[in-house]
This record gives sequence, C-alpha cells and structure tokens, in this order.
Amino acid sequence: MSQPVTPSSTEVQSPPSSAPNTLEIVNLRKVFGTRGKAGGVVAVNDVSFAIARGEVLGLVGESGSGKSTIARLIAHLYTPTAGEIRLGGQPVPNRLGGAALRKFRKHVQMIFQDPYASLNPLHPVRYTLSRPLKIHGLARGNTDAQVGSLLERVGLSPAATYIAKRPFELSGGQRQRVGIARALAASPELILADEPTSALDVSIRLDVMNLMLDLKDQEGLSMLFITHDLAGARYMSDRVAVLYAGTLVEIGPAVEVIDRPQHPYTQLLKSAAPKPDAGLVPEEIEARGEVPDLKTLPPGCPFEPRCPHAMPECKDGLPKMYDVGGGHTARCILHDPAIRARKQGLVGV
Amino acid sequence: MTAVIPAATVPRRAWKNTSLGRFFRNPRSVAGAGLLLLFVLLALLAPVLTPYNPNSLQFDAFMGFSAQHPLGTTALGQDIFSQFVYGARLTLLVGSAAGLIATFLSVTFGLAAAYFGGRVDEAINTLINVFLVLPGLPLIIVAAAFIRGGGVWPVILVIGLTGWAFGARVLRSQALALRERDFIAAATVAGEGPIRIIFVEMLPNMAGLIAANFFGAALYAVLSEAGLSFIGVGDVSLVTWGTMLYWAQAKGALLQGAWWWVALPGLSIALLGTSFALLNFAVDEISNPKLGGGRLKMPRRTVSAAGPAPVAGDALLAINDLNVGYVTPTGTVRAVRDVTLEVQPGELLGLAGESGCGKSTLAFAATRLLDPPGAVLGGSVRLAEHDLLALSPEELRQVRWKEFSIVFQASMSVLNPVLKIREQVYDAMQAHGVTDKAKLDARARELFDLVGIQTSYLDAYPHQLSGGMKQRVVIAIALALEPKLIVMDEPTTALDVVVQRQILQEINDVRRRLGISIIFITHDLSLLVEMSDRVAIMYAGEVVEQAPAHQLYAHPAHPYTQQLMNSFPPMTGPRTRRSGIPGKPPPLSAEIVGCPFFERCTKRMPGVCDVKPLQTFPVAEHQTAACFLYDPTVSPALKGNAIRESQINAGQSNAGQISAGQISAGQISAGEVSREPARNAKLN
Amino acid sequence: MSYLLRKLGIFVFTLWVAATLNFILPRLVPGDPVSVMLAKYQGRLDPSAVDALKIAYGLNDLGSPISQYFTYLGNLLRGDFGRSISLFPTPVIDVVLRALPYTLGLVGITTIISFVLGSGLGLYSGWRRGRAGADAVVPAALFLSSMPYFWFGLLLLYVLAFQLKWFPLSGALDPFPGDAYSAGWWSSLARHAVLPVLTILVTSVGGWLITMRNNVISVASEDYLAFARAKGLSEGRIVNRYVLRNALLPSFTAFGMSLGFVVGGSILTEIVFSYPGLGYYLYQSVTNLDYPLMQALFFFIALAVLLANLLVDLINVILDPRIREGRA
Repeated sequence: MSQPVTPSSTEVQSPPSSAPNTLEIVNLRKVFGTRGKAGGVVAVNDVSFAIARGEVLGLVGESGSGKSTIARLIAHLYTPTAGEIRLGGQPVPNRLGGAALRKFRKHVQMIFQDPYASLNPLHPVRYTLSRPLKIHGLARGNTDAQVGSLLERVGLSPAATYIAKRPFELSGGQRQRVGIARALAASPELILADEPTSALDVSIRLDVMNLMLDLKDQEGLSMLFITHDLAGARYMSDRVAVLYAGTLVEIGPAVEVIDRPQHPYTQLLKSAAPKPDAGLVPEEIEARGEVPDLKTLPPGCPFEPRCPHAMPECKDGLPKMYDVGGGHTARCILHDPAIRARKQGLVGV
Repeated sequence: MTAVIPAATVPRRAWKNTSLGRFFRNPRSVAGAGLLLLFVLLALLAPVLTPYNPNSLQFDAFMGFSAQHPLGTTALGQDIFSQFVYGARLTLLVGSAAGLIATFLSVTFGLAAAYFGGRVDEAINTLINVFLVLPGLPLIIVAAAFIRGGGVWPVILVIGLTGWAFGARVLRSQALALRERDFIAAATVAGEGPIRIIFVEMLPNMAGLIAANFFGAALYAVLSEAGLSFIGVGDVSLVTWGTMLYWAQAKGALLQGAWWWVALPGLSIALLGTSFALLNFAVDEISNPKLGGGRLKMPRRTVSAAGPAPVAGDALLAINDLNVGYVTPTGTVRAVRDVTLEVQPGELLGLAGESGCGKSTLAFAATRLLDPPGAVLGGSVRLAEHDLLALSPEELRQVRWKEFSIVFQASMSVLNPVLKIREQVYDAMQAHGVTDKAKLDARARELFDLVGIQTSYLDAYPHQLSGGMKQRVVIAIALALEPKLIVMDEPTTALDVVVQRQILQEINDVRRRLGISIIFITHDLSLLVEMSDRVAIMYAGEVVEQAPAHQLYAHPAHPYTQQLMNSFPPMTGPRTRRSGIPGKPPPLSAEIVGCPFFERCTKRMPGVCDVKPLQTFPVAEHQTAACFLYDPTVSPALKGNAIRESQINAGQSNAGQISAGQISAGQISAGEVSREPARNAKLN
Repeated sequence: MSYLLRKLGIFVFTLWVAATLNFILPRLVPGDPVSVMLAKYQGRLDPSAVDALKIAYGLNDLGSPISQYFTYLGNLLRGDFGRSISLFPTPVIDVVLRALPYTLGLVGITTIISFVLGSGLGLYSGWRRGRAGADAVVPAALFLSSMPYFWFGLLLLYVLAFQLKWFPLSGALDPFPGDAYSAGWWSSLARHAVLPVLTILVTSVGGWLITMRNNVISVASEDYLAFARAKGLSEGRIVNRYVLRNALLPSFTAFGMSLGFVVGGSILTEIVFSYPGLGYYLYQSVTNLDYPLMQALFFFIALAVLLANLLVDLINVILDPRIREGRA
C-alpha cells in the first residue's frame, strides 16, 4: 500500500544514529582527456556528499553537469583523479581489481538510463539476471527459481512469461524493470540510478519510480537518483543535491531545496521547468548564455557568467558552501553575512 | 478479454526478423552462398568428377576437347579439367585459411585496441595505419620471394599476415562504439571480468561484421594468391587456379589457341571472388540497418470518397481522415489512423502523445516528408489553397518552406556539417527565388537577430555551435520565408531545460509578432499545456482528444488524458504517491477493434468500448473525445458504473491520501460525473 | 594543424617501417641471399658485382646488425640503393627513375579516372536505389572487382591485340617512336597505354562504386538531407552540396587506403603488358633474384603510395571543416 513519501529527517548531513553512512564521497574529482598534462575537462570538481542508510539522494543537473560521471566514479567504471569514496564508513581504494573489485560490486549496483542500450540484445532475461547471482556466489543450483523471484519483485509476473524473452520482445518499461532486477540480484546496499526514467514514456515513469521507492522501503536500500527533472527528484528523494558544471552548488532536504531554492542556479532551473498549473502564462526567465566550456571554467563561481546576481566578488575563487539552516547549504556568496549586510534589501534570496 | 487481434502469427514473424531469416531473403546472400556451395562441392567431389591425377603428365600436349578430356590437355600433357577441379581445393583452402588468419588478427587487434584503450589502442591503431597504407601485393611479393617453395602454407601465412589491417580498422571502430554501450557498463558493474565481457558481451554482437570481414579477407586472399602464382612467386608445383594461369601463360596457351586454359581458371577465380564479395556485401547489409531495406511494394493512396479536402471554415491546415502506414515484410503497420485535424491561422496547436503514438509520422506524412517504407494510405491534407498530397514533386518543392516549414526533432544533426551556416540559410531562400546577395545577407542578419544569435555565426560551421544555438539557427531558417505554418517536432527535447525555456519564449514571441501558425509536437504534456492555444492528444495512431489548452488542463475528458495528466509528479504541494498508466499501447500492426486504450483504461465499459467502432464525440464547446463515455447512445447507467468502479479502485490505491489542492484521478472523475448531465442535456 | 602533423608523423613512421622491413626480410632467409644469387648465376657474375652484393647485404661488414642497419638507413637517405645485379653495373636508382614516370602516368591517371567514374556511378546507384538499373550495377561491380587484374589484361591482350591487332602487344612505346614528345611519340605512347589503362579501369572501378554507393545510402538517411528536402531545394542542389559533399569524405579516405591494393593490381597489369614501370621491373627483379633492385622498387612503391595518402589527407583538410579544427 502506498503512503506519502516521508520527508527525510533534516539532519541527514550527519545522521543521528551511530550507524555509518552507506556512502560518503569526499572531494571527488575527475579530469578527462589529459595524461598528466594540464588543460583537461574537469567533469567533477571536488564534490562531497553522503547518503545515509535507507535514504534516496536526488542528484540534479543538466547534461554535462557531471552527474552521470559521479555515478560512474562511485561504480568504479571510471577511476577518480582525486578524492575518496567511503562505503559503510570504510575508504574504498581508488584503484581496485580482481577479487576486491568483485566484492565491491556486490555492494554497489547501477541502473542505467536507456533500457534499450543497457541490456545486451542477444541475451535472454534468464542469462542477464542469473549472471550477478553466479558472479557473487549467490546461485543455488538452477537459478531459475531465484531469477523468477527477482522478476516477481520488480512486477514482472508471472515470471515464466518473461524469463526466456530477449530484450527486443519487451517494452521499454519491462526492460527497465529487468534492469532494476539485475541491480537487485546481488542484494546491494547502494543503488546508483542514472536517469532511470528519462528514456521511458511519461505514462510508465511513475510506476517505475514507485517500484524503486517500494524496493527501497522493503529492502532498506540507499539510492543515488540522478535526474534532470526537478519534479521527479522531489517525488523520489529524501534529499536533493544540485550540480552545475561539475560543482555541487546546493544540497538539502528535497522539499526545502525545490520549494525554496537558495542558489541562483537552482532558482533558474526551477523557473525553467514547465508549470501548467501556474496560470498558463509562460514565466520570463533571466539567464544569459549557456553552460560554460568545462575546459575553460571561470576561476570563481562557475555560474557567475550567467548569474543575474553576479558581482565582482563572485570571481574571487570558488565560493564555499553556506549553511542556510535545516541541513540545507548553498554555494553562493549571497549567503555570506558580510555581503548579505551590504546588499540588504536588494536581493531577496 | 482482448480487443487486439494479432495480424500475423508470432513465430513466423519472429523468424523472418532474425538475421538468419534476413540472410535467406536477401537475393545477394543467397546468390553468394549458392555460388560458394557450388565451388565447395566441386572441390569435395573432385575424385568423383575426374579419374585423372591433375599432376600426371601422361597425355599428349595441347589436346583439344574430347569426351575423355572435356577441356583438353596442357602443354605438359596434364588434363585441364582435372587440374581445374583439383585446383578448386587449394584455391578454396588458401581463401578460407588466409581469410581466417587475417580475420583472427583483425578481431584480436580490433577488440584489444577497443577494450583496453589508452596506450594499447594508440599502439595498435598506429600499427593498423601502417599496414593499411603499406602496399600489400608488393610486400607479399618481396616477402614471398625470400621464402621460395615450401608448399601452400607459407603463401597462406604471408597473405594472412599482410591482409588483416583493413578489417582491424573496421572492427576496432565498431568495438569502440560497442564499448560505449551501456550494456557493457552494466555487465562490468554486475562484476563480469574482461574475458567474459569481450567474448560473451561484445564478440557475439559483432558477428555480422566479423563474417563480412572474413568474406572480404577471403576475396583478398584468393586474388593475392592468383597474383603471386601468376608471377611465379610461391610454389608453382602446386595445382591452384593461380598456378594454372602461371603455366598457361608460361607455355603460351593463348598463342597456341588454347584460350580456355586461361579463361576457365581466371573466370572461376572471379566467380569465387564474386561469391565472397556478395556474401561480404549482403552480411554487411543485413547487420547494418542503414544499408539494408530493399524494395518494398508501396501501396497506392486511396483518395477518400468524399473527394479532396472539403473546405471547412477558414482553417489554414485541414487534415482529413488521414491514414499512414509503414510497409514491412510482415505486413503494414498502421501508424496514423483516420486522423482529422485543423489548424487555424495564427494558432499554436499542440500535439501530444507517447513514443510510437504516431505524432511524428502524422507530421511527416502531412508535409509529405515521409520516406519509404512509410506511405500515406488514404485521406487528404489541405494547406491554404493547396491539396498537399496531390501536388506534383515540382509544385511541392515550390510550396515547401514558402507556405510551411519544419523544425525537426534531431536538430543537432539537421545542419549539413560541411557547409557554412550562411549557405544553409541562403539556400532555402535561393530555392524560392531570392537571389540578390545583399537581400540574402540582410535577411539572414534579420533572422539571426530575431532568434537571438550573433550574426557572426553566419560564417561558422555547424560543429562550432552549441546544441541550443543550432536549434536557433534551424528556427531562423524555418522563419526565412515567413511561412504560414511551422511544424515543430519535439524542437527542444534534446536541450537542457534552461535553454529549452529560452527557445520556447523566442518561438512564442516570434509567432505572436508574425501571426504564424505552429503545430508543436512533444511528449511533454505540461509544457504543451503551457505553450499551446489548443491541444490534440494522440494514442495508438488516433487523435483521442482535442480541446483548448486551458480546457484540457482543467477538464480533461478522455480517460487517457486524465491518467496522463496525473503521471507528472507535481512541483509543489505535499508529496503523495501517484500512479502511472499500467500496461502498454497495442501494437500498431494489429487490427484494433473498438477503443485502443481499452486495456489500460480505468473506466472501460466491456461490451461497448471493445466492440463498437471508435468514434469521436463532442464533449463541450471546442472539445471532442474519442471515448464512449461521451456516446449519447450508451446508457448513462453503464457509464455511471464504469466511473464508480474506477473511483473505488482509485480510492483503494490512494487509501484516503487525497489532500486538498491535489489533482488525482479520483477528483477528475468526480468532476466528470457532475458535468455529465449537462452535456447529455446539450446533446439531446 | 595537429591533424596534419599527426598524418606527417604516420607518413614518416610508415616509411621507416617499410625501410626496416626491407632490411629485415633478406636477413630472415635461411642462408644468405648472396649465395642464393651466386648459385643462380653460376659464376657468370662479375667479381665486382659479387663485391657490390656483399656490400649491399653487409656481408663484408663485420659490425653488429645494429651498425649494419644504421649504415643501411644512411645509404637510403642519400638515395644510394646499390647496383642492380641483373643489369650490372647500372645503379639501382637509375632503373627506378627510368621506370617511375611510366608507373606514375599509368597508375596515377587511371586511378583518378577510375575513382571519378566509380564514384559517379556509385552516386547514381546509391541515390536511385530501388530502381532496377541502379541495383543491377551492384552485382556487376562486385564481379568486375573480383576479377584478377592480370587475367582480364590477358584476355584483352588476346582478343584486342593478338586476334584483332588493334593495339600493340607489349611495351610502352614503338621501338622507334620518333623524337621524344613529338606527335608520333605521343600517339605511340597513347596506343600502348590503352589496354593497360582499360584493364586497371575495368577491374578497379567496381570497388569505388560500391564504396560510394554505401556512403550515399548512409548519407541519404541523415537528418540534414530530410531537412534539405523540406526546404524545397532542387534535386541538383541536394545531390551536389548535401549528398556528394558528405558522401565523398569517407570515399576519399577509402581512396587513400585502397591505393596500395590498386598499385598491387597495376604491377600485375604492367607485367602482362610488359609495360616498363616499377611493377614490371619488380617482376624482373623477382625472377632474376635481383634483390637490391627488388628492395629499392618496393621502397619506391611504398613511398609513392604513402605520398598519395598524404595528399589525400591534405585534400581532406580542405573538404572537411571538422578536420580543419582537429575534431574529426
């Protein structure tokens, strides 16, 4: 039975219980396209956040903001340039191989954006779902029963009708459910969901999101939910983190961040989202230009060139994260007490 | 209970769509395989076909045709026919063995480069480039000259070792593309090791290309062997078609008039080569859908009985009973079914629906841009005074862009990468009679100002622009001749929300200023409701509801629209669970009886909705819906029942969570019940 | 710029590989090539020729293979390829330079004609795909390109030169063609060139045709083509500026890569017609075991193909704006 998505406790930034966070990333950095030389693309710029047990963190950003790269760094598909990933409080070496990597993969699984691309077209569902069981030593004899129960868990029932099908025989929603089942197979603690609904039709998105929420509740999973859709992030997440040009600009409880965004970029994102209920009047938004080239990022705040509130100080290095209360922080000097005092009354952030 | 009758039995269709099925339907692969089989049989049955040893010198020289020697004898007194038959063996051996070696090397190098990447890739790629440009035959000649004699294997080795580079290049680029596919990342995350990823995940997906590559390499090997043997490099004591040519030439066969001694082995090499080439070509065609697609019989359009385009009011565009299909080997997929739509001057009509509902096909068919296998099966389209479907190609060319223009979904790739933006802005105008350079330049600048791009970008190439700028360029081109209508097919879907919003604002400004009509197609209903004057909702090829945007938003009539509206999580208010629409649309290859939404509908009326032919009913002023809930001939009791049932279901699943200010399925249906009597009264 | 530098790098590197292969191959032979040659010529060799041979293969050099290798590279850079054995004491380089113009003229011109013709037919066949004529071209092209060059040359020679006597049987010029570059000389050159040209043309045109056809079909499904048609552009303009411009790029790259193959075929053609180009001499040197000449000829053939490839890369820069900015 469904219930309201419980708004998360506001202090997840440092969870109250002594239990370690499922995932912590500290100053994670990824630079592409260089071999030790300068001038690469800084895809992820010193990003830090934590996901508590049983929590969904929504990671919001536009394409090129580095949100998928973060997921792939955590999943060890890419090697971080710098920074640390901790799983259950234990640091994970940035270079992993062999048995250690396989052990790590049992704990961290991924759901991909495009279910048409993330399933090998040649393998039947049975193969795709039994492999994680076998790799991680969970298989008990013939895996068909285990695969069947996985299929039932993701709502593909009766399982017998799906187990021998190949991807081309399934609809988009069914494929994505197989993708979710594959991620669940190894009973991980953390699931990285990289835009799991954006390639799906509108009418089936909600059901896939509901499935993920149910699974999270039933199995106590932690989840990184990556999306470019603020409304989807609000629906799915306990907390939301906003990325811009590889930099984390705002993080806090989902409803807080989306209802009362504290960073000018989040405000821009929100004003750009379609709002049919806003009286059908297209809202004028104020923003210049487009996302900067990640090769030549401005030295200060990455959003400064487009920001309606830009001031000279914005160019003096990357702003720090300012606490705006309630576990909500934003990387904008408008929240600096000194500047606030100076600009009093001018900007209503 | 189902309203869907499959058009063809499933197993047969499945077989026809497999690669093997396509292999046997492709005339080229059948011809190639047949020819190859013939040669293989020839080689295998050699002892049966001829009693003589091909090397025995027991006969007289240059004997003519006879029953005993159907092709006469050589200058050395060998039987030419038995040489030819036995020659097939070694020739085939050289072709297949050297082909295999080369293919093995291509696959190994191509896959290793793609999988390991980095330095390994760079090193292998350099090696490939070197072997590609090194002239092969001279290299083989020089190499073979040093390893004289020694039978057929040195020749095979040399050919195999020098002939792999082209295949490696092709396979490397495909493996690189494959490596970027998510299913490889998914297998990695699942914990698969490199061996399994290469051999179980990647390799089977490259089977077609590898097969094509093998046939290509075999062709190269057969020709190389012939060339080598002909100049006497290699072992000329062996009997191959190549060495036959060598001896024929050395012994002056042509001067002796024994032309067949030369003609037969050469022709056989050519035919064997052709069979390899045909197989290479066909396998390539089968595994690369871009090249595939042969001839299909196109159905003729049946002009509707009502005659072309009845002039209805002052509509700018009138689409009448339009039927569009895709002709496939397994039957016709009816993608657009009996669609009737109108667009008024200056109106922005939003066309919404999910993927595969036919919205893009409708737009392409109405503008006559549909490529085979798509075809208009019936109906008419009238734009202003033009009957669009009846125009001759030249008339159509003249009407295009002047009367209506199109902005495509994939604007990232609609600009020609090798021409400057300026030329692509100009040529649309030049094609319609604007030739004065100064005028063209002035207009181009004006257009760029209009859509907010610096005019300096006129002299850029498309790759120098960001996605948002390209889309603005395309919109600028669409406005160039101030058409009456612009069809926009998901014009901002690929763009980020902020850029999308900026462009939508510009579109809105421009169309209000110039009074242009727009058909705006998207799957994003909330965006559409915000943008449009009027909205049409499509489902499974049919327009199921039409209404002014605010009316559709406030009072959606069709259950599909209602459920679709509820599928968007809200940006405000308390967070409650909502549900999507379970199930999926019916396949468009099927004949659909009754309502296509029947199976997913919460308010369906069995015995009505899945039986009666679908019709469109008026719901309110300017609002119509293809739903039997609005059919005055269906009893109100039945409708009430269906609505009550859906409320009970909704109540169960929402368990009293509906809070004030929430729009939910339950409330919409409540509103509907209250409107029901009024509408019935009006209809009666 | 970096694109051209990279191409230049590959050019130099490949040339070095060719030279090194040239150095290594004779040394892989069991026994030494000199004794093989001595055995073949059975004492008929000039003693100075034997010395030259020994020098060529470093047999008189007691240094390490490494120092032999550097000596060899040094000689190469100075253009010193030693002396031909079969045409002793002619320096190898003289033979090469004498043969080079014939090959460049024959292969160069024929290849360009063949590329233009094949690409034109391929454009037609791809653009009009589905029509009987356009589709029938494909199997014909596959057959033509599967024929052994030399075999087709032999047939032409037999029918047109031997039986019908329309063209001379061999060589590049009549024995006494008159003054060089006179009208009679040119006409003699042309008459001798017809059959080799025809051979290369017929057997190589199919390959370009298929390549171009596939490219055209790929381009035909691109969005920019649908957009061009939607704009109401004339067919001529669409074919010219949209289809041809884009389909030619990969065709052109393939052109460079296939040159090696075409040159291989041309060698056989030269042999059939005794056309005194590089290929003919390569054949002569192979049958006479004239290793120094063989190696120099291979080096020059490789050089010619590599230079042609470099030229193709240069033209690509002009044709494709994306390469110009180093993002191809």
